[in-house]
Amino acid sequence: MSVVDPIAGAVERLVRFPFNALEYTNILLTTEDAVVGATPREVVWTHRQTTLYRYRSPDRRYAVPLLLVFALINRPEIFDLRPGSSLVEYLIEEGFDVFLVDWGYPDEEDADMGLDEYVCDELEWAVRETLRASGAEELSLMGWCIGATLCAMYCGLDRGGERPPVKNLALLTMPIDGRNSTYANWVADEDFDVDGVSELYGSVPGSAIDFANKMMKPVTNYWTTYRRLWEGVQEGTARREAYQSMAKWVADNPPFAGKAWRQWIRLMYRDAALLSGRVRLRDRSVDLGRIDQNVLVITAGADHIAPRPGTMPFFDLIASDDVEHFDRPGGHIGLVAGSAARKELWPAMAQWLAERSDA
Amino acid sequence: MADRQNGAQSPEQQVRALYEEAESNTAKAFEALVNKPSFGRLLALSAENTAALTRMSFDGVDLLWRNLRLAGRADIVRLSKQLHRTEDKLERVLQEVEKLRDDVARDRDATGSRS
Repeated sequence: MSVVDPIAGAVERLVRFPFNALEYTNILLTTEDAVVGATPREVVWTHRQTTLYRYRSPDRRYAVPLLLVFALINRPEIFDLRPGSSLVEYLIEEGFDVFLVDWGYPDEEDADMGLDEYVCDELEWAVRETLRASGAEELSLMGWCIGATLCAMYCGLDRGGERPPVKNLALLTMPIDGRNSTYANWVADEDFDVDGVSELYGSVPGSAIDFANKMMKPVTNYWTTYRRLWEGVQEGTARREAYQSMAKWVADNPPFAGKAWRQWIRLMYRDAALLSGRVRLRDRSVDLGRIDQNVLVITAGADHIAPRPGTMPFFDLIASDDVEHFDRPGGHIGLVAGSAARKELWPAMAQWLAERSDA
Repeated sequence: MADRQNGAQSPEQQVRALYEEAESNTAKAFEALVNKPSFGRLLALSAENTAALTRMSFDGVDLLWRNLRLAGRADIVRLSKQLHRTEDKLERVLQEVEKLRDDVARDRDATGSRS
């Protein structure tokens, strides 16, 4: 290396700076135009804010349909992020009949929507409509984050001895005991008036939920992400579509229905009531010991939202004989939606489902 | 020069590595900070204050709107809640109708197969 090289490099970067700056700002300013959730789908059923969608497989090979359930924060489009990087697209190519429940955008008038309503009404009815639409007797449930906890609660709900029509239960980055998480440090203190805040807001604004999520890793979320994008632009390695689709999804934050929010904080961060079987929905007990389905649990090693230790007690509670655990490196969302997932995790998930999805 | 040829970093790479180390340490320090209960208390108080201010401003605007004989947010929320209650009832009625229709179809199939 000669002395001239670093100088030439610096001059080149200086000359390219205006172009790079333009490209960088263009990526940030046109993020809203990114294509998210593009796989063709049809509406099967709606109720209040909830919509059930169906993604028909051109080559359906499995009799048991798959119902995807996302969290009550952010949008379920993470299952179908962008063409070429969509779990839904992958699953329908593999021959699954895929349904997705979308909780919509709850507003002040939905303040009365609690976990009771989400589990006993919306999810119960979404399952019913999925079975009617697909003509199947049983389905596979795949929940992610809070959606996974809702699925577990649905399967553990007292039905007077009847079994829910669920054959397979796949739970991705599911919180069961949140008492040792960063969230718990913020909201577990009884001085924090969750009832007051939820009553004042009606539904807790999505921007507040997003702010709290980002504050868990403030430097990474508010600085490093943008710095890395700038470096990528300078080096010519920035992946515009990948960045924009994820950034658009992250910025789309529906409100959290007030009643569900305060119930969630109590049962997850204050009481961990799911562990002791003290959760009651519509006066029906929720006992995870009733879960006897084929169960797949996926945890992420670097998950700071639903840390792995908060999921592990689940295995001691359930009654299933067929239990599988995939523990992978990765974050809460990146584990399943990241670019590496398509090569390793999605095929493993599809294989697990395929082996258990014949009528 | 000989050092660099042996794989040592250039000054630019050293600066970048130093920067990334500083950023990583700052990130860890902030994560430790937000993990403290005192930060949680600060966040909780801010959330409560923001919620109260939001409600007060909504109520103020609503009062103005109502005095102008226009529907305010509270009126729209009340109407939406009524619509939701109607939709809840309709959904339950629909499910009962579908269940009865399935029962009738099942009975008809059973009668048909017996005869």
